Amino acid sequence: MKTKKQFKWFTIFEYEKEQEYLRYMHKCGWRFVTVRGLGMYHFEECEPEDVVYQLDYNQEGLKNKEEYVQMFSDCGWTYLQEYAGYSYFRKSASHMNGDEEIFCDEASRIQMMERVFKGRLTPLFILFTCVLLPQFLLNLFAFHNYLAASFLAGIIIIYISLFVFCAVKYRDIKKT
Amino acid sequence: MDQHIKKVYVPMTETAFYILLCLRKPNHGYGIVQAVEKMTDGAIRLAPGTMYGSLSKMEKDKIIRFIREEDKRKIYIITDLGTEVLQAELRRIERLYKIAQEEM
Repeated sequence: MKTKKQFKWFTIFEYEKEQEYLRYMHKCGWRFVTVRGLGMYHFEECEPEDVVYQLDYNQEGLKNKEEYVQMFSDCGWTYLQEYAGYSYFRKSASHMNGDEEIFCDEASRIQMMERVFKGRLTPLFILFTCVLLPQFLLNLFAFHNYLAASFLAGIIIIYISLFVFCAVKYRDIKKT
Repeated sequence: MDQHIKKVYVPMTETAFYILLCLRKPNHGYGIVQAVEKMTDGAIRLAPGTMYGSLSKMEKDKIIRFIREEDKRKIYIITDLGTEVLQAELRRIERLYKIAQEEM
């Protein structure tokens, strides 16, 4: 069987784009097998078919995996794998009555976004306030190590732009 | 009733409403999905991601509670607090309906 690998990078908020990408590949006759490492997507050749792919971010679900996966498979969704906190599911469009997704209301879509924020941004934020910021201030004012301070300043700027980017993205999604 | 819980759940989403309504009897997530589909003649099909997230959130908020696990499916039932929330929501809907009938 022919297989294919593609490197793709999606940010933590681009799960919708990722879903579309996997659906498109399946339509072109490439069935998603797994994603590993920094974003290497593995596919195998198949009959082209319209298959809907969905990502959920639910750490509590991962802790109770058997029961979590059972709920999805009861509803006809095949569990594929876990990657970076996300759980991957797919369901053939021919087994659906109309459009189907793993979320059926806006409230639960926003709740999932909030779980992504908490899960992914909280560790970064702790690192920022407990390590980066104090180190920067110490180097600047106590050790007068300006080389280290400017290096840390660079990282801090990247962090702050990431936080701002996330806040804007969150506001946009909540508005729609 | 806990003011915070009341603020969060009145008004509530349709999903939350059906979950509370169905959990007056013990049931699991997929059982609720099936019951709602039948009740609404297929008009409302609850999705598993929504269902899973709602059940764990409602359990944390103590408006439903876990009783046992059966074939890898968690069975829940409504709590007294949950019943109070459901009744408050029903009163709200009833009032809306009455006002609409008088006005239209």
